[in-house]
Amino acid sequence: MTVNVEELELKDRLSLIETMIAEGRRTTESNGWTFVLWGVAYYIAILWTALGYDYMAWAWPVTMTVASVLTVIIFGSKRSKRPTTTIARAIGSIWCAIGISMFVLFLALGWSGKLMDYNIWVAIMAAMLATVNAASSMVLKWMLQFACAAVWWALTIYACFSGGKLLTIAFLVAIFFCQIVFGIYLIIAEASQRGKVAVHA
Amino acid sequence: MPELPELNPVVHGKLRLALLSLLVGVEEAEFTWLRSKTGATDGNLGAQLAKLEEAGYVSVKKKFVQRKPQTLYRITEAGRAALAEYVQALKQMLGGAIGD
Repeated sequence: MTVNVEELELKDRLSLIETMIAEGRRTTESNGWTFVLWGVAYYIAILWTALGYDYMAWAWPVTMTVASVLTVIIFGSKRSKRPTTTIARAIGSIWCAIGISMFVLFLALGWSGKLMDYNIWVAIMAAMLATVNAASSMVLKWMLQFACAAVWWALTIYACFSGGKLLTIAFLVAIFFCQIVFGIYLIIAEASQRGKVAVHA
Repeated sequence: MPELPELNPVVHGKLRLALLSLLVGVEEAEFTWLRSKTGATDGNLGAQLAKLEEAGYVSVKKKFVQRKPQTLYRITEAGRAALAEYVQALKQMLGGAIGD
């Protein structure tokens, strides 16, 4: 009897170690909002451009800048509350580097007047989003995010062969599923995982 | 019959074990994050962290973020080694019972 109790206690300790290591390494925590934020920002920019409001040329630079500033502010406020893991830093650096590349490239192409072909613009953007999602999914070994990357790759190919309204619709659909739906799914998953594991000394 | 190893009493405490396991997966963690993950009270958590610090298993850094004090804990190399040894000892003690 005593032996069994001791054995159970030791197994309980092993299980506690595994649970706590997993808790500490959980890296997807509170990142769903970024997908939703950027998805909405893309929609606003596309809508602004499509409706032809005044200062149409500012649609993308302004929305992307606002989204970037909001991301930095929200991340800054969250950083102090949660610890950094090596994996989180690796994934964060991939997103940050691709984000800066997209911003610099499209801003330079736009200002130089060389961003004339809508198809090429969508193809480059989709390819970059596919790259960052694929890299992130490979680090996390996460098939769902790899599926998002596959959608962006499909859009990259589609943009090379199609155009006009159909391409815009395909772009909106990809944003909807890979940014907004995926982001909301993450938020829900994060909330359900946030249950506390009470440990008593 | 081989002699069974003794479990490190500093690591063996349930909350201290949870804290070391949490800290081993992160670069450093704030007191409030550790509290939320363990569900421990401030007093108990502070006492157990102090014991780990005393044993040289965690290091403490205090700083101010937006004028608010923040206490950050980081597992030391000695802490990592102690946790690894503890896990090895546990597995040895449980022997074939682990897979049950």
